[in-house]
Amino acid sequence: MVVVAQLVERWLVVPDVAGSSPVIHPMDVASSPVLSSTDLERDTTTDSRVAPDVPWQTIVWNDPVNLMSYVTHVFRSYFGYSKAEAERLMLQVHNDGRSVVATGPREEMERHTEAMHEYGLWATVDRAS
Amino acid sequence: MRIEPEITGVLIELTPMERRLLTTLLAQYDELVHDQLDDGDLAGDPALARLFPNAYPDDEEAAAEFRRYTRDGLVERKAANSGRISAALMASSDDERITVARDDAEHWLPALTDLRLVLAERLGIHRDSDPIPANELGDVYEWLGELQWALVEALD
Repeated sequence: MVVVAQLVERWLVVPDVAGSSPVIHPMDVASSPVLSSTDLERDTTTDSRVAPDVPWQTIVWNDPVNLMSYVTHVFRSYFGYSKAEAERLMLQVHNDGRSVVATGPREEMERHTEAMHEYGLWATVDRAS
Repeated sequence: MRIEPEITGVLIELTPMERRLLTTLLAQYDELVHDQLDDGDLAGDPALARLFPNAYPDDEEAAAEFRRYTRDGLVERKAANSGRISAALMASSDDERITVARDDAEHWLPALTDLRLVLAERLGIHRDSDPIPANELGDVYEWLGELQWALVEALD
């Protein structure tokens, strides 16, 4: 128990492990190339003249924490995707770094993103290209 | 740790030490997450950015609005998820096996992920190639992953 108490204590106070190397958030690492292209796209599309029915997307990004089986499980139970489709999307996240898991109206895509955040997945909202 | 599927749910057997570990981690997690009710910006602790990711990384205004509309609800639901685990642990004695209904077990999963997200930040695990440090905290991280993996197996 002593061991457990010690390590648990280190949990909330950021331990030296994280402080010894520059803290890089996964957002910075994985999204930088994608971000720049998205920025270009957004410059031309975040325009009030764009038709309101232009669809939006919920994008799930790869992270080093979530288990492949859990991500598949979430895609199946939340979106109701078949096992095959859920696995295809999970592998896309894993191999390509991201996957568009839903497309539709903005509010709906935000609801999905919020749900993904509840599941502990890294999700963002963007306009469909 | 032993996890077995049952007709109505999942049978979970944890050692007294595993139970205490989980209870302590969840209490600290609740504290961390609840701080979010008062403090909207995530500058303080990078672990929080993993629990509450930026939904619009290239649109600050939309990101802030998303945060405003979703944060309180997310905090509430994340706390409720971890509360399901705590409640199951509290309702059973140390040497007792826990039978968790399917619906409850579904709520265990995101709470376990969140614990791992915070631990990953503390352990400096930022990308797939980062090794899990060979220390106690790394062991806890891996143990939580095994627990979650077994639960998913039992539920699928």
